[in-house]
Amino acid sequence: MAESPAFESPVVQSYEFSSGGPLMLTDASPTTKWLIRTETGGVAADRMSTPFGSSSLAAGGALVLGSRPGEWIVLGAAGAVADVVDGLDGLESAEFVTALDWTHGRALFRVTGSDAPRMLEKVCSLDWSDAMTPDGAVASASLAKVTCDIARNDVDGLPSYLIFCDRSFGQYLFDALIDAGEEFGLSVGPASP
Amino acid sequence: MLLVPCPNCGPRNSADLRYGGESHARPDPATATPQQWRSYLYLRDNPAGWLRETWYCRSGCRRWFTLERNTATNEFRQPPIPGDKRGGKA
Repeated sequence: MAESPAFESPVVQSYEFSSGGPLMLTDASPTTKWLIRTETGGVAADRMSTPFGSSSLAAGGALVLGSRPGEWIVLGAAGAVADVVDGLDGLESAEFVTALDWTHGRALFRVTGSDAPRMLEKVCSLDWSDAMTPDGAVASASLAKVTCDIARNDVDGLPSYLIFCDRSFGQYLFDALIDAGEEFGLSVGPASP
Repeated sequence: MLLVPCPNCGPRNSADLRYGGESHARPDPATATPQQWRSYLYLRDNPAGWLRETWYCRSGCRRWFTLERNTATNEFRQPPIPGDKRGGKA
């Protein structure tokens, strides 16, 4: 895997940061993230071992999201992601596998708090209740009219969501999430991978 | 709101999908007459009742799929599997 150039966040405006609050939004765009595409049912798909709509932790600690049929997002520390991606090299399979470094191309935000589902439901038509989207669930949907991949990845027992969108929509979506979370006391945390 | 049952994502708001129109079998280019091409490209049945149509799940799984919709009631159902002679129209 080639070294990535210095990362520039798609969120360019500055915000007043807060370390606490019932609902927290952070810019996690610097996180290393790769896209994997291949045919469903093939050797490489078996290797990813994460069905569409769910997520799992790889042995090295990378988070693998089954974002679409035959499509996965791998994110986490650069070394852990590299373990997953490099593991697809040399597989004896007939199908094509595409592995693409998405770190610079996709914005990634994390929303954490007990009111996070209610906040998401203000900008998205999906049902974010525990019954429909438990911890580990992955879905793609329109958030504030932006097509996003959303993964539930709870933190310390609190609902937490990872939200991916195209980099060019990052600043807009960040502001839209701040607007949606205002009534729940949303605060913005410093960017972190 | 129209709820469209995507086979991959489940029920979705139709605003998250793109309507692909009536679904027809494509004529064989080697043997089709101009009349058959014109019919395939431009003519629609537009019934008040069950209609086979294609949808694109643009905000979800990004897959095209085929459904049958009752244009009078907006009820959806899965179309019969092609070649399956156990019931329904192919």
